[in-house]
Amino acid sequence: MMRHEFPGLQQQVHGKPLVYLDNAATAQRPQAVLDAINNYYLKHNANIHRGVHSLSESATELYEQARNSLARLINAPSEKDLIFVRGCTEGVNLVAQTFVRSRVKAGDEILISHLEHHSNIVPWQILCEQTGAKLKVIPMNQQGELVLDDLDQLLNERTKFMSVVHVSNALGTINPVKKLIAAAHAKDIPVLIDGAQATPHIKVDVQDLDCDFYTVSGHKMYGPTGSGILYGKSEHLSAMPPYHGGGEMISKVTFESTVYNAVPAKFEAGTPNIAGGIGLGAAAEFMMTVGMDKIAERDQVLKVYAEQALSEVPGLRLVGTATNKSPVFSFVIDGIHAHDIGTIIDHHGVAIRTGHHCTMPIFQFYGLAGSCRASLAFYNTEQEVDVLVESLLKAKAMFQ
Amino acid sequence: MSELNKLYKKAVLAHNKNPHNYGKPETWTHHAEGLNAICGDLVEVYLTIADDRLVAVNFAGESCAIAMASASMMTELSTGLTLQDWQNRFNLFKQLMDPNNEQVSYDELGEVNTLITVKKFPSRIKSATLCWYAVDAAIKGQSSTTTE
Ligand SMILES: Cc1ncc(COP(=O)(O)O)c(C=O)c1O
Repeated sequence: MMRHEFPGLQQQVHGKPLVYLDNAATAQRPQAVLDAINNYYLKHNANIHRGVHSLSESATELYEQARNSLARLINAPSEKDLIFVRGCTEGVNLVAQTFVRSRVKAGDEILISHLEHHSNIVPWQILCEQTGAKLKVIPMNQQGELVLDDLDQLLNERTKFMSVVHVSNALGTINPVKKLIAAAHAKDIPVLIDGAQATPHIKVDVQDLDCDFYTVSGHKMYGPTGSGILYGKSEHLSAMPPYHGGGEMISKVTFESTVYNAVPAKFEAGTPNIAGGIGLGAAAEFMMTVGMDKIAERDQVLKVYAEQALSEVPGLRLVGTATNKSPVFSFVIDGIHAHDIGTIIDHHGVAIRTGHHCTMPIFQFYGLAGSCRASLAFYNTEQEVDVLVESLLKAKAMFQ
Repeated sequence: MSELNKLYKKAVLAHNKNPHNYGKPETWTHHAEGLNAICGDLVEVYLTIADDRLVAVNFAGESCAIAMASASMMTELSTGLTLQDWQNRFNLFKQLMDPNNEQVSYDELGEVNTLITVKKFPSRIKSATLCWYAVDAAIKGQSSTTTE
């Protein structure tokens, strides 16, 4: 689907057509995104929000249009609830330091899950170190699903915040975040959802979820690297102190004091990644034009096909078999280390990721050092899955 | 022969399947762990050093074929060497793995020279060098090292 729109897919690796199955690490970008970036640098190159000249005005307009596109993609009530950030990592750190830090004291708890990416673990460990709070973890089962039996105790009077991944980058598990958010809200606990792997695959509606914060990673959803969005409920964003100080985030500065700008400018100190933001807006428009329903539907078709195809490789074990998952497949093969598989199939043009995928606790749970991970996007094809399977069989033959 | 077949040549695959000096020995004098966490390579080395000589060199751990074969070959080559001679071999091995170095073998490295193709796979050089850095760390009294 839409393959022709992605120039990065039309190339060869080691003389073989590229089979790009490392989308969970970073996706390929459609021509529309590349054009939007180019168009900014070629025709609108100026700083934003500060000039009266034409270029500055048109650059500002493009940047703010991008914010609006992203607000529509995730159905935010207003584009003013969206802060441009470098990616999910920055979004989580921002919330930890400007929203949660002042709300926790020694002995309080922050709740995350066993399925988190390191970027939704380490910022909380830093916060715990700063405040004496404790990190608590929702456990997982063999299928790679969260176990919610003890949720009621995990969400207790000491719990001051919950931060959970929407879709696991390592296993593909789609977590029941709406249910988790409702359970936390029943006890007045605010919630952040890490949407890095959700927005590329499924329709996200932050109002329906009712999350307090939601992070979006630009480069995972066909946009530029170093771009992303933090959505926050407006009452939170206006009450939060700024994260970084500098230009743009102020409305008045004297040596005695500073008056901060309104949201979202308050959180956007300095000259931002203007081209990145505009490119990300183009990615959102692209996805809405294709249709998130169509993307999600295509993903599920690919998922079923790949699950079946991989299960026919002798000695291959899938790691993470959640009922509700996106087309992400972690696997190990008896007798061949993931690293060797990655190198061998690269020579057949197949790009996958090997290792712990920035989720070491998940692999500690399974007693593995890591896995191979094939992560698909809507533009992948059944034939590409077949090439993956053939290349895995060749790797096995080599190691016979 | 394709580059891939040169990388995974028979000798490498054989050492991977039946590594020499593999397994934790009953006794040792020096030990260090070589861990490349990102790619999941773990090589534990156990040395018995007496009179500045490597009397026994063993290794354990799980890793990719390149790291396994390199460790297996390295332990064979190293057993019996004086620490000075071992350092010389280590330096030669670093040169062998240097992508800018055109020399394709060193007599002193023996079978270890079969790893020459690794340097054409930049992401794998760290797998091949891990065991060597682990021995170096053990000799220096350090408990762990990495080449990532
Ligand atoms: C689930 C998940 N969360 C967070 C991140 C970090 O996102 P970013 O690269 O935008 O900082 C990633 C990316 O690897 C991810 O997969």
